[in-house]
Amino acid sequence: MYSPFPHRGEPLTKPVELPQGTLEMLILKAVSLGPLHGYGILLRIQQISGERLEILQGSFYTAIYRLERRVWIKGEWGESENNRRARFYSLTAAGTRQLKAETAKWTDMAAVVAGILNKKADEI
Amino acid sequence: MSLLAAIRKLWHSIAPRSHSDVEEEFRSTLDAYQEDLIRQGLPEEEARRKARIDLGQPAAQNETYRDAIGLRLFDELGGDIRYGLRALRRNPGFAAVAVLSLTLGIGATTAMFSLIYAVLLHPFPYAGADRIMNPVIIDEQHPDEPSWFPLSKAQFDDLRLAAPVDSPLGFNNSHMEITGGALPEEIFGIYLTENAGTFFGVRPLLGRNIEPYDAENGGHSVVVLNYHFWQRHFGGDPHIIGQTLEINHAPYTIIGVMPRSFAFNDTTGVGDVYLPGSLMRGLFNVPYLTYIPWIKLRPHVTLAAANAALEPIVRQFARQHPERFPDHWHLALQPIIVPYQQETGRTLTLLVAGVVLLLIIGCANCSILLLARGRARQHELAIRSAIGASRWRIVRQLLVEAVVISCTGAVLGVAASYWLAKLPLLLSPDSFPAESVIRINAPILAFSVALALLCGILFGLVPALRLSRHDSASMLPGRQIGVVAAPAKHRWSVLIAAQVALTLLLVATAGTAIRSFLHLMQMPLGYDPANVMKLGIMLHTHDPGEWGRIQSREARTAYIEQIREKIASVPGVSTVAVGTDATPPYTGTESSFNIDGTRDREQPQARVMLVDQRYFAALRISVLEGRIWNTDENTRGDFIAVVNHAFATRYRSSFNTLALQLSIPGLTSKNHYQVTSAQSTAARQIIGVVGDARNDGVDRPVVPAIYVPYTAVMLPYVQFFVRTQGDPLTYLHAIRGAIASVASDQQISNGGFNGTFTLNEAIERDAQYSRQRLFSILFGVFSAMALALALVGIFSVVAYSVAQRTTEFGVRLALGAPRAHVLWVAARIALVSAAAGIVIGLAFDSFLGAVLAHWMQSAFAAGSLFAAAALLALSALLACLLPARHAIAVPPAEALRHE
Repeated sequence: MYSPFPHRGEPLTKPVELPQGTLEMLILKAVSLGPLHGYGILLRIQQISGERLEILQGSFYTAIYRLERRVWIKGEWGESENNRRARFYSLTAAGTRQLKAETAKWTDMAAVVAGILNKKADEI
Repeated sequence: MSLLAAIRKLWHSIAPRSHSDVEEEFRSTLDAYQEDLIRQGLPEEEARRKARIDLGQPAAQNETYRDAIGLRLFDELGGDIRYGLRALRRNPGFAAVAVLSLTLGIGATTAMFSLIYAVLLHPFPYAGADRIMNPVIIDEQHPDEPSWFPLSKAQFDDLRLAAPVDSPLGFNNSHMEITGGALPEEIFGIYLTENAGTFFGVRPLLGRNIEPYDAENGGHSVVVLNYHFWQRHFGGDPHIIGQTLEINHAPYTIIGVMPRSFAFNDTTGVGDVYLPGSLMRGLFNVPYLTYIPWIKLRPHVTLAAANAALEPIVRQFARQHPERFPDHWHLALQPIIVPYQQETGRTLTLLVAGVVLLLIIGCANCSILLLARGRARQHELAIRSAIGASRWRIVRQLLVEAVVISCTGAVLGVAASYWLAKLPLLLSPDSFPAESVIRINAPILAFSVALALLCGILFGLVPALRLSRHDSASMLPGRQIGVVAAPAKHRWSVLIAAQVALTLLLVATAGTAIRSFLHLMQMPLGYDPANVMKLGIMLHTHDPGEWGRIQSREARTAYIEQIREKIASVPGVSTVAVGTDATPPYTGTESSFNIDGTRDREQPQARVMLVDQRYFAALRISVLEGRIWNTDENTRGDFIAVVNHAFATRYRSSFNTLALQLSIPGLTSKNHYQVTSAQSTAARQIIGVVGDARNDGVDRPVVPAIYVPYTAVMLPYVQFFVRTQGDPLTYLHAIRGAIASVASDQQISNGGFNGTFTLNEAIERDAQYSRQRLFSILFGVFSAMALALALVGIFSVVAYSVAQRTTEFGVRLALGAPRAHVLWVAARIALVSAAAGIVIGLAFDSFLGAVLAHWMQSAFAAGSLFAAAALLALSALLACLLPARHAIAVPPAEALRHE
């Protein structure tokens, strides 16, 4: 059975816990591909990550609200794929800049950390 | 985009989303997930349940939202405040007492702060008032009496060019009369250099200031009115600008009215009208105009640098007019606040100490009340902590409640302070600058808000920490029944003891202030001020016809005598005397004199008073030796003198007083009304000694004085001392009529420095007298408030504990305890701590006595201290016993059912 909220007892793969602040980045990324409502964002992150991320529901909406407050995403009421009213989020100009900056920072950091961790003893 | 749309957009971007908006969004997510689950084959009911388990309740979502955008703290505080207000409403008695305690403290403290703000920080309405200096000449032989010095127009211009000077203001005072009406009215006019408008930088209430172009053509005939004069004379007519005012028989156009705060100049006399200085040349027919200068320094110029730069310039002036300067002098620039700072600063320090004590007592009272009430609330707090409230959360809740009380108190206190702050000004007007206006403004509001928060935290913290510290388990099973000692008692007792000690301090201070004021009032004055009025008249210096008639000494004496007789003929008037500058308790001009024509190395000084022979009878000053001069001697202006007892004691050591002859160089000035007989160089014979009448202020020892017939020097003004049967002011109208029957346009002074008032009023105006009265009244009020607060504190502690322990007392009584014992048990803690407070207070007060003696110029008297302690002990006993009575009044059976 599929659920975006995996049962602790029977994980499909080992879930990855998100470091502080990365959930926001992932939401920005998800929204950057096109306007999405909240549940849609959740599904897309699950889908892109190969369903390996564990997202606590409390922190998910908290992150959405914070991003909206900072005007990195903006919400607008619209109609969902099955004709329901839903709030669609899209990236603002500030959000686009933020995503770009965050991505660059993350890639840099990941490269540096990976570089250090992958060093062999004789290379140091 | 319209402005409205812009505002809406801005609001939209900062306003939080609505409750329903957040909930609807969450519901749509919930529904989408639920449908997903149903599609995967879950039955509808189970899908619904699972969705809610995974995602949460829609109702709780809004809290998540507000938490996420940082509003949670506000929400919680808002809740705490609402809860605090509800709690206060539920206990109106408690709330009223607590709020009132703080209203008194915060109100009094805010009032004092606004007084300090108005009097010491911002006393003057002028632009750059802290840079305005009063240049004075310090005579090195008499450094305590700085004198002002006049400048000619040319010197004034020299001063303008000096490096440290931003701009100088010149002014000159003149007594004037308003003519053209039924009776002439004396007013005080001030001529100002025409830069006055920019120098003061005070916007007129109506019209305009005096401007430089008013100097054209020998000065425009224009006049600016003082606010009070405008109110008094024109009834505050708003259409006064452009009308004509006749002064000294010449028309002046009214061009402006100054605001109420402008009362230039408090030191030399507040002007009723202000006129362009250039007019003086035409009016006085003098070769040069003289001005008294005020100097506004450039910004960032130090006093020392300015003094150094200006001294050579003033030395130059002294070379031009050596007669205007003493022999040895130096220049000192005095900030214009200086005359007030010293005495007012001392007065205010004492008052501030008083209000701070009151505030602390008020805070202690609130703490006591909160602690006492807290025992009744332990159940509620235990439940809160049992269902998960952290200790911090409970402390916060209790603190918020305390702050709610203190803020309510502050709101009422600020309102009360508006009136309280005016009290010192009403009681002792001469101790404060006339231009300081008490108003509630931003700094004062900020001060009181800060004070309220501080107080709230101060008095709320101890009870909050105390009450939040218990484990819920021991409290929850319900209130204990039985005989359990209350654990929080000792905190009350410390607070009560402190409160009582501080109250004792205030009460003792008040007692001392009142006692020394009474002492001052009972001090023998040496004269009888009751039913004596002083009337000043200015002779007709401005009416050429009348003035010409009284140019000879005989004519002027006759004129004055004629008026005197007419006043004396008014029914009810018993004695009328003449004098100049002879109004007690501060009389005479300090002059040097020589005994028997010998010139001592150190020249003796005495107060010289110009009076007629009836002065002593009118003021009931006793004759000790010799005699007073008679009418003929007075008319002739003979070379005789009467001295007071202080003079006789000082100089009798080597001479018999009545054999003494003295000469007073100051009286032989180049004055053509002066007696020019063959005797003029001769010394004055002392013919009598009179008793000491206060002549240096009510509280200061009498200084040596010489009384001389007023006909010796004829000044253009005289004062009549009128003794009447009953209140002298009721005769004022008849006396005016009597004066008018001699000369229809002879005005009498009203108000001001040369004005009309009774001698009792003259005493009340004495600085020391009014200050002492201020202290007695204010400290009396403070200590009454403090006493009331302390008693309320004691009362409520005993009342609360009796209410809490009704069962215990019932058990005690049922088991046969004597009633007196139960009464003692109920009142014991409060009584013991009050007693401890009194003992601490007594110890503290005797230590503080020396400090207070310095500040109040009168020491604690053991008598008033013990009286205060006795008063406090008695009232504390009452405050304990009244509520404790309830403990034994309840029938034991009922007490046992109490819970």
